[in-house]
Amino acid sequence: MEDKIAMAGDNPANTTPASRSRLRRCLWDGVLPEALGLCFVGIIFGGFSAAYLVADAAWQRRALEAQQGEAQRLAQGLATILGAFGDEQAAVPDEWASRLGQLPSLRSLRWTTSDSETRLAWPSAVAAVSGLTGADDRGPPVVAQVPVQTATGAPAGQLRLELAPPIADASRHALLWNWGIAAGVTLVVFMVVYRRLRRHLRPMAAIERSLHCYAQGLEQELVAMTLNDSLGAAARGWNRLIAQLTDLQQQVQSGQTAPAPGSVLERFEGALFRRVADRLPLGVLCVAENQRINYANAAGAALLGRGVEELVGRPAAEALPDDNVRQVLANVRAGIGAGHAVDHTRQDGEQEIALRFRVLPLTRSGGGGGETLVTIEDIAPLREGQKARDNFLYHVTHELRTPLTNIHAYVETLTKPDFDDEQTRKECYNVIVSETRRLSSLVENILSISQLEVGTARLDIGEVDLQRLLRQMVQDNLGAADGKRIDLTLALPPKVPKIRGDKQRLSVLINNLIGNAIKYTPEGGQVQVKLELTPHTLRIAVSDTGIGIAPPDQPHVFEKFYRAASDAVQSVTGTGLGLAIAREVARLHGGDIQLQSTLGKGSVFTIELPLSAVDAAEVPRS
Amino acid sequence: MSRVLVAEDDPHILRLISLWLRRQGHEVLEARNGLIARDLAHTQLVDVLVTDVNMPGLDGLGLIEDLRGAGRVKRGVIVLTNRWDHGDIRERLAQWGVEVLPKPFSPSRLSELVEALAGTATGASPSGVQGPTP
Repeated sequence: MEDKIAMAGDNPANTTPASRSRLRRCLWDGVLPEALGLCFVGIIFGGFSAAYLVADAAWQRRALEAQQGEAQRLAQGLATILGAFGDEQAAVPDEWASRLGQLPSLRSLRWTTSDSETRLAWPSAVAAVSGLTGADDRGPPVVAQVPVQTATGAPAGQLRLELAPPIADASRHALLWNWGIAAGVTLVVFMVVYRRLRRHLRPMAAIERSLHCYAQGLEQELVAMTLNDSLGAAARGWNRLIAQLTDLQQQVQSGQTAPAPGSVLERFEGALFRRVADRLPLGVLCVAENQRINYANAAGAALLGRGVEELVGRPAAEALPDDNVRQVLANVRAGIGAGHAVDHTRQDGEQEIALRFRVLPLTRSGGGGGETLVTIEDIAPLREGQKARDNFLYHVTHELRTPLTNIHAYVETLTKPDFDDEQTRKECYNVIVSETRRLSSLVENILSISQLEVGTARLDIGEVDLQRLLRQMVQDNLGAADGKRIDLTLALPPKVPKIRGDKQRLSVLINNLIGNAIKYTPEGGQVQVKLELTPHTLRIAVSDTGIGIAPPDQPHVFEKFYRAASDAVQSVTGTGLGLAIAREVARLHGGDIQLQSTLGKGSVFTIELPLSAVDAAEVPRS
Repeated sequence: MSRVLVAEDDPHILRLISLWLRRQGHEVLEARNGLIARDLAHTQLVDVLVTDVNMPGLDGLGLIEDLRGAGRVKRGVIVLTNRWDHGDIRERLAQWGVEVLPKPFSPSRLSELVEALAGTATGASPSGVQGPTP
């Protein structure tokens, strides 16, 4: 077994005598079952042989006993017959002789009287008739001797009968020989097959033992687990694997962060890096020392609008779309300005492509030259977000500024002695109050949308008299409607059930719809608020004869901050929050809002609230 | 006494500016949007134009451009702007050399500006608003 595990002399410094002895024990642990297995095969073989011999002896003994019994019975019978015949039968008649001749195992028969006179002796007397030879090579006979008595009971001598033994010695010996030869041949064949199999199994068994030791935590003894190369290709492959593992182990132990060029670790890390980089959403390019791209991931190629194959091998200066990026690349190669972001924007058809490039040196020393890494980030979504935020801020500040301007100007007016008359003062107070309310409603809207967006909005459920609420909402908006000479009307059914809901939020919802209708309806138009009861729902429809909403804008009007791009909409100040809030509030009440609109003719916003939200007791009986 | 045209879509601000300027003794023409303002200015020459930038129909810049070309404003223009208005709007206003008053504005400051423009010597070309004389 020792030849399989070649203990190398140059073990790593960290191996200890203790761990080496453990390894040795561990390896022997592996050898033991193999040896035991072989012994077991031998024991089984020997056991079979011994069992055969014992069984043979027992069977032979039983056959002998049976033959003795047979001889005894035969002799007894013959003695009885001979006694009955007495002296008259001096010789064996033919009939008897032929009967005796049918006993193939009979060897001799002798009747001796008391005065030593032989009255009957076979084979001499019988052989001629029966054709028996009377003797064979079967070995010592089975003998039976019985006394003969006459019919009167007087002794008439002894009868001695000899039968052949049950199996001939010669044939038994031949059988044993055959058995012995068969066993010998089988053993030889077994040994030959075993030897041949072992040639293949030895390296496997050795590898298995090494792996077993590795599993036992003896990995620091890797070198000692190398096998003798003469064991064949499997052993040589195993040794290479061990060498590479040892290599890795040493690098990890020596704390090397970057693998040696061409080393296993480098190849391993290279493959890992490639797999990771290929799947990154960030564009990655590696620029070799010769200024050509030697790696590009799929995202990088897509962001540059090319294929990976097109990029690899191409000079970086050709592939990069911007002079600034090329300049930064040159700077980083010269050892300055690593990591600075350079933004590049280009138009691809109608789509604007915005990319952010960063260049970093890949050399460890960072002293310029060498390989460089270029990352490419798609910043279009970032820009979109910034635009949306700027847009929102612009609209919010614009909306805030209008009531603030009014309050500021009217307060200043109040302080001037020139405007001390009663009518002016009253007018100033009224404007200040209404603009303060407008400001507060705007702030409320901004808070609402942020709450709804974060998902922290809670309903303050109570009983809501919709009839009263709608009247109040219409009343509140009459001023604005009158200012534009808009006819604002309210249509209510005779009896309206009270519903359970958040009064404050429902009033915001209705107010936003009425406010929008007035805002986007030209002077002299009409706005109608109508409440309807259906079997399962409660509908509040706010219709106007306003500017309407173009079909492409209709799916988006409930998105927050969305405002149609048309001049008619843009000329009206608004945050794009009102409808987003309205829909969220309707949905929080288990309902929804529908829109029907024709551009240039007007819009109908229909709030639908499920009747399940309505207190059953309050539903009027029809 | 001068004739002042005020173009502003917010009724409260429009009302307040009128109130102040009338107290100063000016004749005030009120316009709720740029289109009404343009029509009014084309009907009668005005001394001073006070206008908002964002207005339905015709915005403040369009109005100034129109009246400037037609030479309908004699003395000068005051523009009420939002501080957040885009850079190109501010650039154009600077080019035209008009008075700019950012919102929220002080009505007394506006009165002073109107007074300064209206009181400018007759015949001089103030603020470069007046177009080529026909």
